[in-house]
Amino acid sequence: MTRPIGRRAAEAETDPRAVNGCAPDVFSRDGTVPMREFPESEEVDFVIVGAGCGGSVLAAKLAEAGMSVVLFDAGPFFRPLSDFASDEYEQEKLYWLDPRVSDGDDPIELGANNSGQAVGGSTVHFQMVSLRFRPEWFKSRTKLGYARDWPVDWQEMWKYYAEVENALKISGPIRYPWGPKRGRYPYRAHEVNEAGLVLARGAEALGVDWAPTPLCTVSAPRGKSPPCAYRGMCKIGCSVNAKQSMLITYVPRAIRAGAEVRDLAMVGRVETGQDGRATGVSYHRGGEWRHQKARNVVLAGYSIETPRLMLNSATSRHPQGLGNSNGMVGRNLMVHSNHAVWGEFEDEIRWYKGPPSMATCEHWNYVDDDPTKDFDGGYSFMSQGPLPGDFAGTLTGATGMFGDELLTAMGKYNRMAGLKIVGETMPAPDNRVTLADESDPLGLPRARVTYAFSDNDKRLQRHSLDFMSKMLGAAGGRNLLETSSTAHLMGGCAMGDDPETSVTDDMGRSWDIDNLWICDGSLMPTAGGVNPAMTILANAARIADRIVAARNG
Amino acid sequence: MTQGRISELLVRETGRPVGGKGMSLIVATAGLGFLAAGLAARRPSGGPHTPSATSPRKREALRLSRDGAAIMGSSVLLDSGMEHLRGDYRRDAMYAAPLAGAASMAASMAEPRTGSPGKLIEGVHVGAVATGMAGMGFHLGNVLRRPGGLSWDNLFYAAPLGAPGALIMSGLIGMATHRMARSSGQERRHGRQLAALSAGAMLAETAEVALLHYRGAYHDPAMYLPVTLPPMAAAGLLLEAARPRRRRRGPLRLLLRGVEALGYIGTAFHALGVARNSGGWRNWRQTTMAGPPMPAPISFAGLGKSGRAALDLLDIADDRLGEDSK
Repeated sequence: MTRPIGRRAAEAETDPRAVNGCAPDVFSRDGTVPMREFPESEEVDFVIVGAGCGGSVLAAKLAEAGMSVVLFDAGPFFRPLSDFASDEYEQEKLYWLDPRVSDGDDPIELGANNSGQAVGGSTVHFQMVSLRFRPEWFKSRTKLGYARDWPVDWQEMWKYYAEVENALKISGPIRYPWGPKRGRYPYRAHEVNEAGLVLARGAEALGVDWAPTPLCTVSAPRGKSPPCAYRGMCKIGCSVNAKQSMLITYVPRAIRAGAEVRDLAMVGRVETGQDGRATGVSYHRGGEWRHQKARNVVLAGYSIETPRLMLNSATSRHPQGLGNSNGMVGRNLMVHSNHAVWGEFEDEIRWYKGPPSMATCEHWNYVDDDPTKDFDGGYSFMSQGPLPGDFAGTLTGATGMFGDELLTAMGKYNRMAGLKIVGETMPAPDNRVTLADESDPLGLPRARVTYAFSDNDKRLQRHSLDFMSKMLGAAGGRNLLETSSTAHLMGGCAMGDDPETSVTDDMGRSWDIDNLWICDGSLMPTAGGVNPAMTILANAARIADRIVAARNG
Repeated sequence: MTQGRISELLVRETGRPVGGKGMSLIVATAGLGFLAAGLAARRPSGGPHTPSATSPRKREALRLSRDGAAIMGSSVLLDSGMEHLRGDYRRDAMYAAPLAGAASMAASMAEPRTGSPGKLIEGVHVGAVATGMAGMGFHLGNVLRRPGGLSWDNLFYAAPLGAPGALIMSGLIGMATHRMARSSGQERRHGRQLAALSAGAMLAETAEVALLHYRGAYHDPAMYLPVTLPPMAAAGLLLEAARPRRRRRGPLRLLLRGVEALGYIGTAFHALGVARNSGGWRNWRQTTMAGPPMPAPISFAGLGKSGRAALDLLDIADDRLGEDSK
């Protein structure tokens, strides 16, 4: 972020690319598409901070409704065809790896599977698992007796799940075994790879349902996207453009509709006026601090950067940070337990082939009265396909093995399979984002993330490990290995019906500042036992419709 | 994974995990050999084995039908040759399909014969039907063996249940045509039989296309064409089989020409489909396997031809009736 704006260079990571009325054409190797630009002195209708699941959808829908929108992202604007390498370490450029302070009883590892720093956000490297919340989870306090309720009705969310699933042409099974009937997925499910069939065989042996995972990568051509080529590099960025990430779907849609995208633009502060309302943002781009005026500011930086920005934008009028008069900003941060069981198999599996999680089991998301279920919430689990570097890291992390021992263990890589959960954790006010004492190179205080699992979380983890061990054994796995980790982030700026216990209302509008909005995963009051992408997307689509309706009404 | 003996041998000899080139060479050589044999037998010199009873008009009509069967045979040769290559010819039995397809193509191209050459031709057709049936059994076994059993996913991605049907149809139409060529007259009966057979084959083919285009989510509206035009033609043919009416045949013939054209247009569309896969035609070694099967649509051209042959036979019967009543 040190070179001047406007210099065209191959280095997407150092030179802004969305400049001079052009944005990168993500379907080309070096082309551009025209893009509208707004003067910084012009008060645009919406500044959106973060071009991931929340910001991209909102930007596209608001721009399509005729509003002036500038979409900021701290990361580069990549062209997957020419910028992505089939190399795990090179592709770490997709993660948010700026240091943060992570503490608490169970400090979270931050980076690969809970952040993104690129236009398109973490959808550029997500594993494309596209599941819906169980309907009851939107009222988990009322209906299931734990955590808290969402201020949204499940049927409304169901409608928006369908909208975003169609916009991303999710490839899913014709019959989904769990939950209320859903419409047919727009594209057919992919052929389940051998790693997925291990889950399938295990599920059939234990008598529980399984399904091909609904995935956000197309199983047939779509526009300029070829169908998935099953290269298996999904987690480090799809270099064939089959993955329907925000980068190649909603972001181009937003640009076509007249939104401006500013890449490599790190928003450092939301500026507020005498009346306490937001007036715009200060951002760092091209080596200098700049300012963009706006009638509304939307924060879509996910569960750490959104609270960090609110806390860092404190003024004498908002001494605790913006929208934080009740002290709820940054609180109730949640992760997903990401515990796994791995096993060796007689036959070759070659689990790196195809998307990593092609089969799923949501059994424990939908069972309430099983006598062995000794926890609140639920978990899903999926078949696994870690790339070699990733898996070597897993082995080292879990067992400490190294050198020859690790080499021997990795020799079994092609004959291994694993099951990994996405396990719901309980919201707790002390799991939170605050500002650390140290600052980053731009002079912004770093985020401090404090996290601890609850007893319920630990019971869920133990239950899942036992169940997955049983299933992997039933499928023929031997020498089972258990590992623990976390994935995803949820909460931090929960929406709610009560201004005392939440940060925003049901449409993401700050209780304190009526032109400050949040639209990302930090709004989630509960985590659910499924990957959050579809829920964040659906919620963003819903918020966009609400904003448009409010303006027209 | 099961390894056939040929597969093992090739892997051992070539030192490559997949001896794909060697296998393709075997199939390609056999295919070309059969093509040459068929061409050589196409125009008989009026030798001792030529059935003499058939009228020239009937012979022409039946030749059209045989061309149809030969096209279907070639479709089986190329399609199964490719798809089984994709499966590395892991079982020796996988060679049977392209070879039977090639043999069926040659037998259909050959002008009908009497005596032992005729028996050979009919034997090839019976062999094609039997291979097709066995193939269907193998494919069903493959579907049922996978987790999920008879599920949508296995119907989409396991060995395709409908594909060996093309071999069965190629054999049946070839066989029927050969039999018909050996007797004179009976054009009305033969026309109705051929109409019914072609209609049945068209409906079966449509069912397979419907399944696989559904797999492709009908992402291009053109994908609806082969599931609408052929059933209409099949309905017309069935009507003709039940109650032949000359005035229907004009429009029906047009429709059948449409189905035939669909075979050629479909091939072009599938070529475009291949181009839409990652890497396009430059990456043909992967995309021709991963994309829509190029040799599949052409079988509609074969069915269009045999359908028209049935109408020709019915016309001949009607003309004869007209002459008789004069």
